[in-house]
Amino acid sequence: MLKNYFKIAWRNLKRNKAYAAISVAGLALGIACGILIFTLVTYHLSFDTFHKNSDRVYRLYTEWHDDGIGRSNGVPQPLGKTFRNDFTLAEKTGRVINFRNNLITITKGNEVKKFREENGVAFTEPDYFDILNFPLIKGDKKNILVRPGEALLTEKIAHKYFGGDDAIGKVIRLDNKVNFTVTGILKDLPPNTDRRQEIYVSYGNMDEYTDKRREDNWGGVYSGSEAFTLLKPTTTTVQANNAMAEIVKKHYTGRDLKVWKFKLQPLNDIHFNADLDGYADKKYLWALFFIGVFLIITACVNFVNLATAQALNRSKEVGIRKVLGSLPHQLFWQFIAETALITVVAVILAIGLSYLALPAINHLFQSEMQFNKGQLAVFIFMVSIVVVFLSGSYPGLVLARFQPILALKSKLSQKHIGGFSLRRILVVTQFSISQVLIIGTIIIVSQLHYSQTADLGFNKDAVVLLPIPQNDLAKLTTLRNRINQIQGVEKVSYCYRPPASQSNNSTGVNFNHRAEDEHWGINTKPGDENFLATFGMKLIAGRNFFPADTTREFLVNETFVKKLNLKPQDVIGKTLSINGKSTTAPIVGVVKDFYNYSFHTEISPICIMPDYRSYSTLAIKMNMRNAQSSLASFEKIWNESFPEELYSYEFLDDSIKKFYEMDNIQLKLAESFAAIAIVIGCLGLYGLVSFMAVRKTKEIGVRKVLGANIQHVLWLFGKEFTKLLLIAFLIAAPLAWWAMHNYLQDFKYRITIGPGIFLVSILSTFIIAAITVGYRSITASLANPVKSLRSE
Amino acid sequence: MLSLQHISKFYQVSGLKNFVLNDLSLEIDEGEFVSIMGPSGSGKSSLLNIIGMLDEPSEGYHYFAGQAVHQLKEKQRSALYKQYIGFVFQAYHLIDELTVYENIETPLIYQDFKGTERKAMVADMLDRFSIVGKKDLFPAQLSGGQQQLVGIARALIAKPKLLLADEPTGNLNSKQGEEIMELFRKLNKEDGVTIIQVTHSEKNAEYGSRIINLLDGKIESSKQL
Repeated sequence: MLKNYFKIAWRNLKRNKAYAAISVAGLALGIACGILIFTLVTYHLSFDTFHKNSDRVYRLYTEWHDDGIGRSNGVPQPLGKTFRNDFTLAEKTGRVINFRNNLITITKGNEVKKFREENGVAFTEPDYFDILNFPLIKGDKKNILVRPGEALLTEKIAHKYFGGDDAIGKVIRLDNKVNFTVTGILKDLPPNTDRRQEIYVSYGNMDEYTDKRREDNWGGVYSGSEAFTLLKPTTTTVQANNAMAEIVKKHYTGRDLKVWKFKLQPLNDIHFNADLDGYADKKYLWALFFIGVFLIITACVNFVNLATAQALNRSKEVGIRKVLGSLPHQLFWQFIAETALITVVAVILAIGLSYLALPAINHLFQSEMQFNKGQLAVFIFMVSIVVVFLSGSYPGLVLARFQPILALKSKLSQKHIGGFSLRRILVVTQFSISQVLIIGTIIIVSQLHYSQTADLGFNKDAVVLLPIPQNDLAKLTTLRNRINQIQGVEKVSYCYRPPASQSNNSTGVNFNHRAEDEHWGINTKPGDENFLATFGMKLIAGRNFFPADTTREFLVNETFVKKLNLKPQDVIGKTLSINGKSTTAPIVGVVKDFYNYSFHTEISPICIMPDYRSYSTLAIKMNMRNAQSSLASFEKIWNESFPEELYSYEFLDDSIKKFYEMDNIQLKLAESFAAIAIVIGCLGLYGLVSFMAVRKTKEIGVRKVLGANIQHVLWLFGKEFTKLLLIAFLIAAPLAWWAMHNYLQDFKYRITIGPGIFLVSILSTFIIAAITVGYRSITASLANPVKSLRSE
Repeated sequence: MLSLQHISKFYQVSGLKNFVLNDLSLEIDEGEFVSIMGPSGSGKSSLLNIIGMLDEPSEGYHYFAGQAVHQLKEKQRSALYKQYIGFVFQAYHLIDELTVYENIETPLIYQDFKGTERKAMVADMLDRFSIVGKKDLFPAQLSGGQQQLVGIARALIAKPKLLLADEPTGNLNSKQGEEIMELFRKLNKEDGVTIIQVTHSEKNAEYGSRIINLLDGKIESSKQL
């Protein structure tokens, strides 16, 4: 019996190739999206779940309750030590201080190799490796990084530095400051961890690497300074949080007592908490999950639409089978078998599709996802079962219930094969979703276009940034003079970072010797007297500061003035103290506001002042006509100035583009989901039109005999889908407006959602839908009425 | 009114011509009431479809109201057809989703009559066929005879010169059939509508002024009554 079912199913599909192809394509697309989204979601949920006792592992973090609440994943460096020494709540507590973009030098005989390590180096206490599970494959497990001057490398890094040689005992030099001897090799990091450091060095060398103040400094937080703790099984988070409150009481005084708070963040929250430098908000995963479910369901719906439209054509077969003695449930199972066959083909196709798409998705997210075959097999099996019964049972039931005599005489009409309005509702739902996605895509594109072309308040074009690894005054002066002589160089400025940067320093503010410090911080932008000219920034009051090597005068921005509720003229000549009053100087000018972060963030109060010790960038405004030769000259001069360092350069506009990396990912996702939703929506529309065409064959024939021409008949279909699309639009427009309004809230500076966006969306949907409907309705309208009316 | 000369209709099946109509010539004058008879498969319906321009002959010349139909373009043919011809079917072919009133109105919409004109014309027609009380019913709510009445009313609404009927009484009982035939006779005599009907029934055929017998795609005999 079963064999017979499948044989008949196969022949039926072979005969109705177009129908089979559309069903398979729709299902395959839906299931492929399901597989990919499942992989993506499980991948993110698996982050840092491989550690032992991961339910008891916490990261300490800092909260400031002042002018609003600020949070940092970093903590004052002494916090971890104090928690370990003064309390007995934890089994282990370990500090890890991360630095990024470090230079590693390796000397082998006369050969010197230099490496720029983007993921950087971590100064780590031994306890860290008891809390988190990063196993050693070589080295002494008991004495990991106990003595100063030791380093651990992952296999990958060891291979990169030393090739096939044994790395143990070799020396690496960090930032031309400190030497470390490799004493252990770590297993390569799994892709699903947020702890990306691959070079760990002894915590004991921190003092040597930075200045000593940090070890006992409770007043500042470096975001790379983290502390992890493994609580005892009996310890509650309430106890731990109480301990944190005690620490604050002991180490802070005055206003700080209210401002500073330390808290514990569970390990499984780290990946998802965007406030604390987490990667992905869980709400996005949920959104993805629902999109996946939606895509699979719509694919099933299309299948049902097409299958029932097809059912009328098969009424004769069903009638004959019934006359020959088939029972309803046998017919039902025959159609389930047919669905199963289509689903199996679709699943195979979907697996192929997702294998093809995975590298692209990994590239987009810069991740290393792999298919977890075990989990995926279970998932695919479940999905297949659900799909078969979801999409097979309805057409099966409908066909099985046909009255045999009516079926034989082709006297079945739409009331025998299920409601037309149900299909309409489904198509409206599909198109509402695709319009929401289309509107979303248009808005994201417009916003990104706006952020990349809007006036930033400074000039980002044709500015090259070179790193400054050493702040030797004589060297800096020579370098500047030599660069200035290169043809095509227009302006040169030393600065900490360009006006907009992801790397920022903030400090407390005291204005005009007021008794109390302001309740907000100021973003310091060290730069020399050419800073304004190089980046094309404008003064709105006062003057630029005079050339100097250290801070004698300040420039501030408009926001600073506004925060003080003053006029630009009023601050000129007043004193400004920063860095805990260690730097005090008069304000001599106010610059027009410029965007110092991305458009996601509000412009902060800013001061600009010369301070050669803080310079880490040489910004060169150049003429792009001779870019190639100029860049070559920069490299040559730079290498001569800093022979021990590794040369690199970056254009300012490229570095600003990086602010919008996540937005670009969102854009690509929105685009692909919009495209897939449209394709599936169109398949649904096609199903509906096929159904209509079958149902209206007789009507069209009659109308043509009565004198209707092709346009009249086409309008029969056009009227239907215009109505459905308009309803879908009316549902989608407010939804999309609401969703995108919320999305734009993430940008402090944003576009407004105008009617044009909605117009473009509905127009594009109409065009796509018209093309979909066009073919089927034209064939229907061209059909010869003699044929369609002959049957009776 | 119309003239068919050397009309053939055939289907090519693996190189062999399978003739439905074979070199058939026929003249019909205005005001005639022609009955076409013949056994199943003799080509009656095909002939009617060609006369009604629903189908094209494979060969031959077709003149209608002084125009060479075989040379006309689709558009002109459609215009000619809309103006002159009404169709009545054995299976009525009313549109299930439209009411009696709307079914009758449909041809007028395709001929671009204005709303007020349409109203007047449909009201007239309903009156004439005494189906005013049924104008808001759907086809499924009517008996077969009533449905065919609506079908004829619909065929006549645009005042065609030629009414083509493909076994108009085939699905009706004898009493209903007689009524329809009486109606045809009246239309022919009083309104001067030319009628061509296909029928199996001798009795119905005799309502006409001429009976044409078809056999294997050819005219076997033609008898003036």
